[in-house]
Amino acid sequence: MTTPTIDDLQAITEQVWLSYLDPEGITPFLPSEESPGMPCVLATVSVTGAWDGHVVMTFSQKASRLSASALLGMEEEEVSIDDIADAVGELVNVIGGNVKSLLPDGSLLSLPHVATIDEGVNKWPAAVEVCRLQGSWQNEPIAITVLTSKSSG
Amino acid sequence: MPTALVIDDSRAMRLILRRIVTQLGFEVHEAGNGREALELLETLDPMPQVALIDWNMPEMNGLEFVTAVRSQERFRRMTLMMVTTESEHGQIVRALAAGAHEYVIKPFTPEAIAEKLALLGLVPSGTMS
Repeated sequence: MTTPTIDDLQAITEQVWLSYLDPEGITPFLPSEESPGMPCVLATVSVTGAWDGHVVMTFSQKASRLSASALLGMEEEEVSIDDIADAVGELVNVIGGNVKSLLPDGSLLSLPHVATIDEGVNKWPAAVEVCRLQGSWQNEPIAITVLTSKSSG
Repeated sequence: MPTALVIDDSRAMRLILRRIVTQLGFEVHEAGNGREALELLETLDPMPQVALIDWNMPEMNGLEFVTAVRSQERFRRMTLMMVTTESEHGQIVRALAAGAHEYVIKPFTPEAIAEKLALLGLVPSGTMS
């Protein structure tokens, strides 16, 4: 079975950044070996069917705000929590859809889910990590993780 | 001025598409899902020349919208273009079989949207190149 790799995730992420967040190529997403630290905003889509798992994007508060500002064409200070939820939800939807295209036919993509994490609790007990791309954008940490459900083999 | 209907549950994506099709000379209407779009179509005169339609949306998804529109004679002149992350071959075939005319996979560039609209004869070719 084909599963996404970190190279796949990086290619997808670069394309999404060029299309929506950084069309001029001035502030690209920069992959890093360093852990991005405690996320504050988390956006997920689930894949079910022929392959079961999740695509999860985590952002610092600032990175989520910058993303919404860039996507919606707003000043950073004007961005509301609804703007952030809409913007990061669409980012994970597009990245998740492109991850799904690497998976066996017959998989379905859920609508996105966005949560803020105040307590630092960030666990998927029924899933294991397939690959993870972490890095920074405008010096703010962002990570993208593909998880597969333990039952999907 | 020609009109376009952008149907996507993401406000950010509607805004991105609005910018592109406005630049191409369209007046733009927006809906957050297929049901909202059908309701909006009841109020629009003239009918939009083209609808840009996301697939995965709450309440009524893009495929259901395409099927509903194609079942009604009065909408037959409206061009339907899917703009979605759904890239599975079988899904593309389903959308085209249901009556969509074109298919764009996200992420897209403004040039890609312009090229598809040019292929459909809705804008001159090379408008954004």
